[in-house]
Amino acid sequence: MKKTPLYEWHLAHGANMADFGGYKMPLWYPGGVKNEHLAVITGSGVFDTSHMAVVMVSGLDAHDLLQTCFTKDLDACTGKKRAPLCPGRCAYGAFLNERGEVLDDAIVYMLETHSYMAVVNSGMGGVVAQHLTAHAEGKKATLIDLTDRVGKIDLQGPLSAKILEKVLANPDAVFKTLPYFSFKGHFDTTWGPADAVRLADHTPIMLSRTGYTGEFGFEIFSAPDHIVHIWELLLDAGIESGIVPCGLAARDSLRGGAVLPLSHQDIGPWPFINHPWSFALPFNAEASSSNADTLSSNAEHAGFTKKFIGDGALGRVKHNEYTYAFSGMDPRKVTPTDPAEVLDEDGRAIGTVLTCVTDMAIGRHGNQIYSISSPDKPKGFAPRGLCCGFIKVHAKMAPGQEVVLKDNRRKITVEIVENIRPDRTARKPMAGMI
Amino acid sequence: MKEINELNLPQDVRYTKDHEWARAGGEKVVIGLSDYAQDQLGDIVFVEMPQPGDVFGKGDEFGTVESVKAVAELYMPVGGEILAVNSALEDTPEYVNQAPYTNGWIIEIKPSHPSELDELMNQDEYVSMLKGL
Repeated sequence: MKKTPLYEWHLAHGANMADFGGYKMPLWYPGGVKNEHLAVITGSGVFDTSHMAVVMVSGLDAHDLLQTCFTKDLDACTGKKRAPLCPGRCAYGAFLNERGEVLDDAIVYMLETHSYMAVVNSGMGGVVAQHLTAHAEGKKATLIDLTDRVGKIDLQGPLSAKILEKVLANPDAVFKTLPYFSFKGHFDTTWGPADAVRLADHTPIMLSRTGYTGEFGFEIFSAPDHIVHIWELLLDAGIESGIVPCGLAARDSLRGGAVLPLSHQDIGPWPFINHPWSFALPFNAEASSSNADTLSSNAEHAGFTKKFIGDGALGRVKHNEYTYAFSGMDPRKVTPTDPAEVLDEDGRAIGTVLTCVTDMAIGRHGNQIYSISSPDKPKGFAPRGLCCGFIKVHAKMAPGQEVVLKDNRRKITVEIVENIRPDRTARKPMAGMI
Repeated sequence: MKEINELNLPQDVRYTKDHEWARAGGEKVVIGLSDYAQDQLGDIVFVEMPQPGDVFGKGDEFGTVESVKAVAELYMPVGGEILAVNSALEDTPEYVNQAPYTNGWIIEIKPSHPSELDELMNQDEYVSMLKGL
């Protein structure tokens, strides 16, 4: 089992550790996972994410190679106008095989012309690098798997910019024009733009306006040697803001409530279509606009804006399965590994449960789900949390429809939803967060 | 995660291999979850309890505790009839984490065979078992 640079810190601070993706990782700290989950929604939390892998893609044909292998159209993916990806911007998508099945999801960063960086999941650096290498034949492209050679910390929550401001050498310049899914700086000092973001003590970092909690925040990349130092700097700077170190359990419940998939669990070795993440596929403009108000019906939309590995298979799926987000009526869950099945109103088994977690920041009031950070939450709102997650079913469903989830222990009724935790902060403009 | 020497393991209760505790008092036995179990599970967000009057045998599942990540079954340390459940846990399930042997008690029963209590582990035996895990 591998260790991240923060392993000793986690042990010294009483973390409950578990194996995840080949690494010993913290599940939660003694303050408890509920406290961690809520801190990220109302304040700020830091996550050790150095288990994730980085793959560098460079060369004259790097762009072509990624266009071939990555689901997002790099020529039409930035902002509402779908501008081409440019240096300083990044995009979320997936790497598929010829059958249209997911190898892994990724964020691809454009460092400069002919130079990109893909951030993939724990243990997937080698797999993705190999996949890209296999498709790079005859292309001028160099792949470097930087697994364990880049460290990462995620600083998440609405107070994250206020905390970061205290540790940056040049916060005004860094925060100016740093929209969602953009980044500045570099973890490698030999890189020209590395000077764009340095901590007050000159440590170079790459700072990205991304994360995987659904809340406002940053991912911080640095050389592994600096990670413990940066972690402690952030915790010190965040004392007044109530910053909390957070483990993988809070990351899982936060991303569940934010309708974000966990690779190899919610997306995996089945066709990457008919799911809530149509933004990861290069649908043409008409398809994506009509897709906004229909749920997971993207198989019916003809036409992608580019060709990519797996595209044909996605259009030829014979037995469509549909992935939907759901929300329960109370905190009670089913256990997907039991396994847990999905029953329709007549009690027929129509699919399986992929993820089932409790988002402790939300509750139902009437027909509406509110979060503790909802500006319009009912008076005295004190939620006990709602079970939520993803199901994959044979039948097409609509928001508001109810299904029953059944494991070896219990049956619970849940509702198909488009959104789970309301009033998330991830996309809030920087200006309002400093 | 707590080290074994950091665990709160009182001597006035008996323990099961599934980490429930049972405290005898007069004709009744109060049952809850050990400090070790609550520490392993993490924050409890829901406790599912039986109805007063329900009767269970030793080792039967009588409810569940639900953490953010997982659901764990609760098993009867001794058989008997449910006299009361801790209804405070409906709104404050975190009592199981904060005070597992006091405010976090789960059920009170009338044991069918009080001698079953003698088959449970005392503190020393429970600590030995935990050291072997």
